[in-house]
Amino acid sequence: MKLKVKLLFISIFWCSLLLRVVAQTNIVVTGSVKNKATGEVLVGASVVNEKTHKSTVTNESGNFSISVEKGATLTISFVGMSTIKYKVNIAGSTSILLEEEIKKSDEVIVIGYGTQKVTRVSGAISTVKAADIEKLKPVRAEDALQGRASGVEVISAGSPGAKPTVFIRGIPSYKGSDPLVVVDGTIETLDDLNSINSADIESINVLKDAATTAIYGVSGGNGVILVTTKGGRKNKKAEFNYSSNYGIQEVARKLPVLNATEYGAIVNEGLLVDGNSIAFSDLSKLGVGTNWQDQIFKNAPLQSHSITARGGGESVTYFVSGAYTGQAGIVGGGDKSYFDRYNATTNLTFDLTPKLKLFTNTSFVNIRGAGVPENAINSVISNAINFDPTVPIYNNVLGTVGKYSTSNNIISEIVNPLTQLENTYNKSNTNKIYGKIEFQYNILKNLKITSRYGYTDVDITNKSFSPLVYYGSNHTSSTLNADGTSNGKGHNAVAYDKDNYYNYSLETFANYTFKIAGDNQFEVLAGISEAKKTGNVVSASRQDVPNNSWDWADFTAATGNASNGGVGGGEYRFEKRNVSYFGRVNYDYKEKYLASLSLRRDGSYEFGVNNKFGTFYATSLGWVISSENFYKLKIVDYLKIRGSYGVTGNDNIDHPQYLQIYTGIYEYSAGNNTGYVFSGSPVNGSTLSTFANNTLKWEQQKQTNIGFDARFLKNKLSVTADYFERDISGLLFTPQLSLYLGTSAAPFANVGTTKTTGLDLSVNYAEPINKDLKISSSLTFTTSKNLVTETSNGYIQGGSYGIPTTYFVTRYEKGRPPGYFYGYKTKGIFQNQDEINKSPSQPNAQPGDIEYVDVNGNGKIDDSDRTMIGNPFPKFTFGWDISLEYKSFDFNVYIYASYGNDIYRAYERNLAFTNKYRGILSRWTGLGTTNNPKSPRVTFADPNINTRASDRYIEDGSFIKIKDIQLGYTIPSSLYKYKVFNKIRVYAQVKNALTLTKYSGLDPEIAGGIFDSGVDRGEYPQARIYSMGIDCKF
Amino acid sequence: MKRIKILGIAFVFFLAVSCNKFVDYNAQQDYIVTTADYFKTASDYQSLLVGCYTPLQWMWNVPMIGDIASDNAMCGGESATDDVGLQQIHNFQIVPNNSVLAEIWTDCYEGINRVNYLYQNNGVLNFTGKDELYGESYFLRSYYYFELVKHFGDVPLFTDHKLTVSDSKQMKRSPKASVYKQIELDLSNAIATLPKIQTYKGRATLYSAEALLGKVYLYENKFDSAAAVLERIINSSAFTLTPNLADVFLKTGENGSESLFEVQYTNLDNQHDYGTVNFQRSQGNMMVQYCGIRKIAGTGIPFAGGGYSFDLPTKELENQFSATDTRKNAAILDVAAYAAANPSLGISYTDAPYQNTGLYNQKYQPRIGETSSAGVTQLNYLNNYRVIRYADILLMAAEANNRATTPNDTKAQTYLNMVRQRAYGDSSHATTATGTSLTHAIWNERRLELAMEGDRFFDLVRTGQAASKISGFVVGRNEVFPIPQQEIDISGLTQNPGY
Repeated sequence: MKLKVKLLFISIFWCSLLLRVVAQTNIVVTGSVKNKATGEVLVGASVVNEKTHKSTVTNESGNFSISVEKGATLTISFVGMSTIKYKVNIAGSTSILLEEEIKKSDEVIVIGYGTQKVTRVSGAISTVKAADIEKLKPVRAEDALQGRASGVEVISAGSPGAKPTVFIRGIPSYKGSDPLVVVDGTIETLDDLNSINSADIESINVLKDAATTAIYGVSGGNGVILVTTKGGRKNKKAEFNYSSNYGIQEVARKLPVLNATEYGAIVNEGLLVDGNSIAFSDLSKLGVGTNWQDQIFKNAPLQSHSITARGGGESVTYFVSGAYTGQAGIVGGGDKSYFDRYNATTNLTFDLTPKLKLFTNTSFVNIRGAGVPENAINSVISNAINFDPTVPIYNNVLGTVGKYSTSNNIISEIVNPLTQLENTYNKSNTNKIYGKIEFQYNILKNLKITSRYGYTDVDITNKSFSPLVYYGSNHTSSTLNADGTSNGKGHNAVAYDKDNYYNYSLETFANYTFKIAGDNQFEVLAGISEAKKTGNVVSASRQDVPNNSWDWADFTAATGNASNGGVGGGEYRFEKRNVSYFGRVNYDYKEKYLASLSLRRDGSYEFGVNNKFGTFYATSLGWVISSENFYKLKIVDYLKIRGSYGVTGNDNIDHPQYLQIYTGIYEYSAGNNTGYVFSGSPVNGSTLSTFANNTLKWEQQKQTNIGFDARFLKNKLSVTADYFERDISGLLFTPQLSLYLGTSAAPFANVGTTKTTGLDLSVNYAEPINKDLKISSSLTFTTSKNLVTETSNGYIQGGSYGIPTTYFVTRYEKGRPPGYFYGYKTKGIFQNQDEINKSPSQPNAQPGDIEYVDVNGNGKIDDSDRTMIGNPFPKFTFGWDISLEYKSFDFNVYIYASYGNDIYRAYERNLAFTNKYRGILSRWTGLGTTNNPKSPRVTFADPNINTRASDRYIEDGSFIKIKDIQLGYTIPSSLYKYKVFNKIRVYAQVKNALTLTKYSGLDPEIAGGIFDSGVDRGEYPQARIYSMGIDCKF
Repeated sequence: MKRIKILGIAFVFFLAVSCNKFVDYNAQQDYIVTTADYFKTASDYQSLLVGCYTPLQWMWNVPMIGDIASDNAMCGGESATDDVGLQQIHNFQIVPNNSVLAEIWTDCYEGINRVNYLYQNNGVLNFTGKDELYGESYFLRSYYYFELVKHFGDVPLFTDHKLTVSDSKQMKRSPKASVYKQIELDLSNAIATLPKIQTYKGRATLYSAEALLGKVYLYENKFDSAAAVLERIINSSAFTLTPNLADVFLKTGENGSESLFEVQYTNLDNQHDYGTVNFQRSQGNMMVQYCGIRKIAGTGIPFAGGGYSFDLPTKELENQFSATDTRKNAAILDVAAYAAANPSLGISYTDAPYQNTGLYNQKYQPRIGETSSAGVTQLNYLNNYRVIRYADILLMAAEANNRATTPNDTKAQTYLNMVRQRAYGDSSHATTATGTSLTHAIWNERRLELAMEGDRFFDLVRTGQAASKISGFVVGRNEVFPIPQQEIDISGLTQNPGY
């Protein structure tokens, strides 16, 4: 694939050379193009004859030569420099000096259904530019937002290609927090960001406040990520970019567990405490044993290669790219977990007539992947943490099958992680095509109509095989006998599913710009949109694969039959439809007084029949104080204050409303019994089993934003700050209905409310110290405070964690932050019976057990004493980027920090013979040894249930990570012979170089949505990556 | 240019109009049957009617309550906290937050709403058998309202439609008298349309409706009306007493010659999940499981082990039976005596761990082969709940005649003695009492004849004897149970006095 792409581009390159026709010359002009400030030659500057559109670019020495007719005007331009025009009167040589563009006033930013000059923006938008993304080369685009876009919290995932958790301005709802993703105007989802080649991205703009998101109405409630990909350039010859990066990933830290001797001692102690005899009579024989984490973590490669070409002629411009990204997993290595992505993108623009333009963006993506069980009590990492350290790596028991050892002590659930890895077989293949077809028709110079069809078509094929496995002679999960024959306790099985997702949006809108009375500028937008999402999943499975082998794992080859449940299948589909009308007016007076008003009316398939359409709106005002005549403040070069208020929504309602007639005898899922018995035989009956809430509607989010943009020190320092308040109402909860309504399922109703406040801050500083040295730094600060204010006496329960007894550890409940940790508070350790007697009643407690807090003061420790014991989400996050450029060297450090996020440790299985976290070494061993509630006595019988969900398992997960260190060297053009290249940069990079945290586990960044974030069940850690790369332009 | 503009505007307008339909939803596309697809054929109505019967099965606690709330039985179970709702009912320390009572309340209203749903769609389609079908539904609605009024007194009364979400929190309690009036109306309508014999056993018949109406009249102290309707049943000669009472409660005795109405259960549905929502609302009779002896085993014994030892008859009840009364062994199983009498069977069992009397409810004992082997044993007992049987008709008719405006004690004696004749197997135990002493004789007979069938508590309340017979019973309070607390909290209903 990689080679093919390269060949393709080389051939395109040659073709473009051949097509260039040498015109008849009148006179020949030669010249050099340089940076006026630094005197640096500019390689690749464009020189265009305005009249004939013949063009050339400067060579590696910054020189050009072009033949033109006498009197022609040349336009000379270079990215980041001001364009100048040069009139040719005589042949000969000239020197062109271009100035760096420091004026930011022409900078344009992408907003919903259009663009806007930055100076005219009065809403809150965060931007990440191509330069940052190109440097970072993230596997997923969201990673580029982490710490770089203020107001956006990204909790990265460690597993190859896995989706991170993304919140824009806090957590408004429990019904999905994913922001809307719009790629070049095409509506996509956060999941789709797994497939965008980072080299294709021109910019990412994050719309945060109501003023900017209300134009997306009911889809804009969680914020909007606008991804703009690169396009071609008119009358430019092809510019190629090749970049290649190869790195090695390693696990950065391991969880401290007991070695074999310590393990033996602790197991013995626990057995004695419970009145059993010891298991390890001679601890000295055990040694350090096997640390299974050393066995499962492998060094694994990460590489990315991409080539892009952009350019264009008078009526056609193009951007094409091809890329390969391959990430192998550090858990088990690249055989068992990997993410391989192949991208091909073609963005074309055609001027069909002088007024009619056609845009076709087409991206094809192929993703191949495999994974290992993750972040669960029987995941590979959890098994590595919990498995018996006293057994050797390899099986040394004669007459038993299996490459790796088994434990005679651990006979349920926890298995040898290497055996598990060896028997993990799955693969997935995703083909995805997305893009748009868009017409723009300029009816008038200032009136443009755009009509676009945006689409995403995803086909996923998954296949997995679960073989019969021998985990030990007495292990309950064993499905093989020691001799390799089936023990009859299970079947191997092959399972497939084929998923298709097709989304489209059809949008037509008009942009009209006009001025009234000179300086009153209006930009008006009006449009209509229709969008549909569909999903279809078909699955099949079959037992009894021949030879118990992946090689034979095939539906047809397998022999299971339907009569005994050996063949399975299923089908699932969903659909979602929206139709919307929207409009916006942006107004400014001399770019000094700014205002906007946007309106959107959204209809959703999901809403009740009486509330099919919702209206969303927002308004904003801005005032550039520094443009006023009276403005005299010298230290502040530029000051704009902004404010906005508006209403957006969220239509994450799982299903439309309907009045279902259920027919049958007994419906397990709903407990809806409708059958009866006549003459001794069960008969089917029917009932109206649902209520429809015909007024069901969107969540409504009211957001107020105030902020300012300021520049200091001759525009070298810029500060943007925003304070926001979001009041969300209409969260879906099941209301409590009168009992006399009977047993039909109560429908969702819009009853919940939440409130979020926060501050987004970004500071940028750039200073060219002298000709050779440049410094720039940027800093972002993001904080949000979330509070659930109404849940109609109910709560939403999150995941159930903790072993051996499972508890619902996370909750969404009134008066608490969303997804908070719920459990018992600990007070200390009971030192003696007297303390137990004097304390609130805690049945079965013995000295050395944890004393819990009687929160409700009823004199006993019971379920009602459970309360908030932690918050998985940070109080604030912080990103800091420092760049230095010295001559040809560039150096960049990027630091990301998260403060106040708690972690719940849920990776320990807590069986007598499972291995333990090293913290157990400071356990209570007698009166006065410790009063730390995290260190109770060792007991496996655990009559006090010291393992119940409590703050014993909460740790502070705050961290500072050096996410990226990069040192680059741009090879001076004088140093290379072949004049093909305009720029070559080589660099070395370390990602996730260092993590400073008090958290004892593998990685304090634990992604997982509202209910699973911060719960460590053996989280796949982010790898430390050492890589080298090269970027070339030619 | 103008033309293009106009075309453009027209195009946008066209889209706007056509698009609004784009967000309409039709559940048919998800293959979900909705109300829109219903009431097209007679079988749609039939199927909905079956659903109206279903909540009868969920109320398996009711026959236990009638005894454990009375002097007939202890609550039992594993401990004082095993099924707290039932324990409270036995102790008369009933709090409104009682899950057993909330379940009965909810079940009855589910049944009523299901019937109402049929009622509100009466006019959609005409078909043969429609009147009979609606007759059955009215019978069921009266049954549910009668249970409500028996347990709770004044209750919300609505008959015209299945309540919707917008009706939540809108209802008020109606006086008991209005509820009884509706019950009488429904039953008269049922009597007017129901057949004497149903092809399928388990369906309500004309006699079922008359029997229930007789009972309702009795509860209303309308003895003349009660006597009239009950004697219609007796005079029809459609029912006879089974020679041996114990046989009525065997599998072979289900829907027998003595049966006026039974709640039907089956072991053929294989309810197999003991942890899902509302697993207790299955096609099996869970009361039977509740009444079982713990871990009983023995060679060839009919009883299944693994019971929960609830609803334990008191010694006091046992002592009410005279030695020759065959009904004692039909109602009460003295497990120790049974084991001692059959040493060859090697019977073993675990004593009831709480409130053990050594006695068990013989009428609803779990028996081997009567649950499902494929489903969860506890959830699939097939034993029907015998709601009204002929002996009850006779005793009610006796009482109605004895307490009528113009008492007819001769008739009353006749009916009472028919029951005693079967109990003793001879006519030597015939009563000759009259007046009040006959009334008491009839009431006592009801206790013996209907022991452990769930009638006692409601009889004691009805006849004003509860305070003198039941320890802990408070007059003016315990005649009815509390309205479920959730209904007070959510719907703002008033609570019964004393709770």
